[in-house]
Amino acid sequence: MTAAFRAGTPLTAEREDIALPLVSARGLTKDFGGDRGLFGRAETPLRAVAEVSLDIARGEVLGVVGESGSGKSTLGRLLLRLIEPTAGSITFDGHDVSAMVPRDLRRFRRHMQMIFQDPYASLNARMTVGDALIESLMLHRELRRSEAKDAAASLLSKVGLTREHLGRFPRAFSGGQRQRVAIARALASQPGFIVADEPVSALDVSIQAEVINLLQDLQRELGLSLMFISHDLSVVEVMADRVMVLYLGRVMETAPTEALFGRPAHPYTAILMQAAPGAKRQGERLLATGEIPSPRNPPSGCVFRTRCPFAIAACGEGGRPALREIAPGHFKACIRDDIALSQ
Amino acid sequence: MAFAEAVLRIEDLRTYFHTDAGVVRAVNGVTLSVAEGETLAIVGESGSGKSVTGLTIMRLLARTPGRVEGGSIHFRARNGKVVNLLDLSEDRMAELRGRDIAMIFQDPMSSLNPVFSVGDQIAESIRIHHRATRQEARTRAIDLLRQVGITDPESRVDAYPHQLSGGMRQRVMIAIALACDPKLLIADEPTTALDVTIQAQIIALLKALQRERNMAMIFVTHDLKLVEEIADQVAVMYASQIVEQGPTTEILARPRHPYTRALLDCTPHGARHRRLSPIPGSLPNPIAPPQGCRFHPRCRFAKEKCVQTDPLLEPVSADHVTRCIRWDEIEL
Repeated sequence: MTAAFRAGTPLTAEREDIALPLVSARGLTKDFGGDRGLFGRAETPLRAVAEVSLDIARGEVLGVVGESGSGKSTLGRLLLRLIEPTAGSITFDGHDVSAMVPRDLRRFRRHMQMIFQDPYASLNARMTVGDALIESLMLHRELRRSEAKDAAASLLSKVGLTREHLGRFPRAFSGGQRQRVAIARALASQPGFIVADEPVSALDVSIQAEVINLLQDLQRELGLSLMFISHDLSVVEVMADRVMVLYLGRVMETAPTEALFGRPAHPYTAILMQAAPGAKRQGERLLATGEIPSPRNPPSGCVFRTRCPFAIAACGEGGRPALREIAPGHFKACIRDDIALSQ
Repeated sequence: MAFAEAVLRIEDLRTYFHTDAGVVRAVNGVTLSVAEGETLAIVGESGSGKSVTGLTIMRLLARTPGRVEGGSIHFRARNGKVVNLLDLSEDRMAELRGRDIAMIFQDPMSSLNPVFSVGDQIAESIRIHHRATRQEARTRAIDLLRQVGITDPESRVDAYPHQLSGGMRQRVMIAIALACDPKLLIADEPTTALDVTIQAQIIALLKALQRERNMAMIFVTHDLKLVEEIADQVAVMYASQIVEQGPTTEILARPRHPYTRALLDCTPHGARHRRLSPIPGSLPNPIAPPQGCRFHPRCRFAKEKCVQTDPLLEPVSADHVTRCIRWDEIEL
């Protein structure tokens, strides 16, 4: 690979092609299972993510919402190549991430980091917070130990903790503090892109607000690109510039945040919004019927049609509905243009 | 609320856990009541004592270090007699539990037995409390599955828990809980583990079943927005105490305790890039809660007197109380 992303070289420094998205994916697909078993009988693969394409600009926050089985976490892991795509391509700052050999990928990793829902599970219980940060700083930024220690202290102060916290173990921290530590560790390698997978879902609401504010501040200050994955629409609405709605691994709708929340165009988006407790709505609440189908055996045509109150015969025919642009930057995968959806 | 219509009335309840690190006063002087056909929400964050309150009512603390150290839980039984649940023998309590008072939890998988079909588990609940033949119990189980919105109940009755989705398992738990037509249902975060579209279905179902049966319900949750959906009355708990209580619409529109106000303010509701207002500090240490008002270290209205005085619940109006000595001098 080229020297452009050798460890220590900032990728995003003063480039002129700033309009180019930082992260792009085309036709990203992930199947689980389906391998030929011992007796040659292949099981039906589970298509967790199906032909998802997206662009995330520099400094942009893309919110990804969906329920269990929507593929939102799988999509985040695919973008970072923590799991291998079955099909499709990923580029980061013009580099084809999907084609990188392991050695190059390892070096490249510092530019893309991840924050998980449960910070306790992602921190080593036997390592002090300081040692965990120093390890990452020495590895990714090739700092000497003494330099790394100062850098670790300054990372902690960035996330609202202090130098005194360096010598403590993860168990000595509260849930909110642990998530701050996880954020500091993600920032250690000076990434341009972070996937945050339900980062505040396990926190009490009084603490959740702190972590959301911190993420917003850091994202703006550092000009980070962020994929913010959540099942909670109200949190996504606060965080995201643009939102993508997934159902059974497919994109149902994607739009700038105001447009999506103000004028949802896909029945599933409208139902998700109305299902959220406390949502203001006119008249009867739109309810999805039945259960989320097994992703191993998704419905034909539109995958949402079995639960959609607006489904007609045509929704089951003619393959998957295409993602069509209905307003600038606002796309929906629904063939029905003759229905009125209110938020 | 007049005692005449209350199904349950708790007074000055104290449940303490004796741990190696010290005594956790998990429920510390809780007083509340709930009437027929009414839903009372107990709302609070982790460690507020909301779940322990529910478990204490059900007397499910026997195998924990938790002990009831004071107070009473008066329950109006089916025959109209009022009994203090804390005075009942274990056998008598077992009769009431499941028949007169039922409970559902967040995680149905840990409450269902994986080796019995759901039909067997519903039927068991019926046959413990009523005389019924195997066939009668099965017919009733199928009927209950239909009532909780499970399609094709005739075949689902023979399904095992692992064959059902999370939402369906919670429906089965509701069917078991309602099998004996209880007068009071305690629901502890019943939808927290569910997807939002399934949550909406389960909430609609609970409301409909409650209306049909005129059942009293205690709904334990951390989610204020869910409280708005489901509850007539709400009790807000912080550090083992009720800090504010009253009609839901009034509490949410005109809170009179700084903690309730702060909880409402830190809940995100819309508007991109809107700054959220976190509550400063962290949840108090359960073994050594702050002196005076437990919320004072995090309260922006706290004054010297808040540290020195243990606040009592003061009436704001006929049915609205707050545990704040400054409630009528601050603007919330």
